[in-house]
Amino acid sequence: MTDQLRVLVADDDPMLRMALSEVLEAEVDLHVVATAEDAEEAVDLAERHGPDVAVLDVRMPGGGATHATREIRTRSPRTQLLAFSAYDDSGTAEELKRLGVREFLVKGITNAEIVAAVRRAGAAVDV
Amino acid sequence: MRPDDGYRLLVQGVRDYAIFMLDPTGLITSWNAGARLIKGYREEEILGQHFSVFYPAEDIADRKPERELEQAITQGRVEDEGWRVRKDGTRFWANVVITALFDGAGELRGFGKVTRDMTERRAAEEALRASEERFRLLVHGVLDYGIFMLDPGGHIISWNDGAQRIKGYSEEEILGQHFSVFYPAEDIADRKPERELEQAVAEGRLEDEGWRVRKDGTRFWANVVITALFDDTGELRGFGKVTRDMTERRAAEQALSERRRLLNHLVEAQELERRRIAWDVHDDSIQAMVAVGMRLQLLESRLPDEHRPVVHLLEESVRASVGRLRNLVVHLRPTTIDQHGLVPALAGYLQDVVAGWDLDTDLSADLAQEPPLPIAITIFRICQEALTNVRKHAQATHVEITLNSKDGGTLTRVSDNGVGFPDPLPDNSYQQFGLLEMRERAETAGGWWSATSSPDTGTTVQFWLPTAPAQESR
Repeated sequence: MTDQLRVLVADDDPMLRMALSEVLEAEVDLHVVATAEDAEEAVDLAERHGPDVAVLDVRMPGGGATHATREIRTRSPRTQLLAFSAYDDSGTAEELKRLGVREFLVKGITNAEIVAAVRRAGAAVDV
Repeated sequence: MRPDDGYRLLVQGVRDYAIFMLDPTGLITSWNAGARLIKGYREEEILGQHFSVFYPAEDIADRKPERELEQAITQGRVEDEGWRVRKDGTRFWANVVITALFDGAGELRGFGKVTRDMTERRAAEEALRASEERFRLLVHGVLDYGIFMLDPGGHIISWNDGAQRIKGYSEEEILGQHFSVFYPAEDIADRKPERELEQAVAEGRLEDEGWRVRKDGTRFWANVVITALFDDTGELRGFGKVTRDMTERRAAEQALSERRRLLNHLVEAQELERRRIAWDVHDDSIQAMVAVGMRLQLLESRLPDEHRPVVHLLEESVRASVGRLRNLVVHLRPTTIDQHGLVPALAGYLQDVVAGWDLDTDLSADLAQEPPLPIAITIFRICQEALTNVRKHAQATHVEITLNSKDGGTLTRVSDNGVGFPDPLPDNSYQQFGLLEMRERAETAGGWWSATSSPDTGTTVQFWLPTAPAQESR
């Protein structure tokens, strides 16, 4: 179990949060260590669990992915960040990438694409 | 040289005046250079002739030359202005002074005659008089402006037809009255008429807009210019006053401004509502559909092979719906515009929506500053409308959008390489192509809009919006 990637899922929509967790948990090499309902909780849980990868909803309460990214970058520097958004917003994508987000995923891509992105992020973690 | 020689030389040399002498009977006894120039006779041909040769035939018949000599004798001198005749028969307008010359014993020795050619000066005076007369007629006849004069104390000393039309007083009843009769009681109590004159004196002129009172007591909204009139010595001679009735224009401006205000409200309310719907769809419907799609994919992977295709189709149609909802959100409200501004929102729209129309797009922007949000939204909406037109009608392959800061606002151009408008334009083209809506949006925001089209070069929609939203006037 130690070679599993430890993932944090943060999304204010409960259905999406659960669906995304299930999609990731269905993969043997992925494990969801925590789920957060807003940006503040995401920061706390990232600090507590030090996950390999965090998937952050772009528009969630508590400052959204922008705030969460800034905080997690300092409190859990090893955590690789992915942004997950309901619409394709090139402006926000640019900003988040500047802040340190690896990839900007548009909701509606296939589960396989999500899983692949999480694995790519996990591969970049400094062990 | 004796003093007499000096005078003789002086007189002979003078060229601007004909100066010569007559004997007591009127025969010419001396001649000078000026006389030769003005009248055309050389000295040797004129000496000894009677001076009446200079007079027109009608004056001679009237005995005018003799009468002038008689008058000079009785009064010492006579001055006259009138036509005289040159040697070549042409006439000139002359100023003539004849002085009777008596010796010490009081006996008449002859006459001195000084003649000046006034033809040019007379022509200039005539021209001035004619021009003043024309000007007076013009001022008097002007109906759109009340133009009249005040003496230095503010009493009316002239009046024109326009003033009568606007204020209702005839010339006879208003001349001599103080101009404060045109002001409402509250302005008079406030000494406004006097203050306006003082200000005109201090600053040369004064312009004012406000209520004035007609003869019948009703009011009109006037634009008034008072000009202080000074003579050459700098002394105040009075005031010129030009008044224009702006009541209709003011009403029209107010109606326009009210219409703009309502339209602004409407547009704002519409944008607010669209924004609410967009975010609702974004935060709720899309999330739910995405979650459903993800679960369907999970389900598909857990099903036996024979059932997978059904769920796969289901999942695909959910994902397609998510795509359509996302386009709907962008179309309803470019959420990017709130967060990142106009140009990223347009770039996003071109990339996310227009790219799917098989249209090659090119966006270039050179903006000194981000327009205020309501203006940015209007620009975005007009671009959206113009692009929709290109898609529906132009058969174009390429669209170019440029934004530039210009004249304190933003100039936007949307050009395509399509077929242009149909020729001739159908009657309902403005509605058909949404042109009216675009133009109204631009004009509501205080700007302008135009469209040009030709089959060779395609269609260009261009519009300019001020940086500040439409100001509500007065």
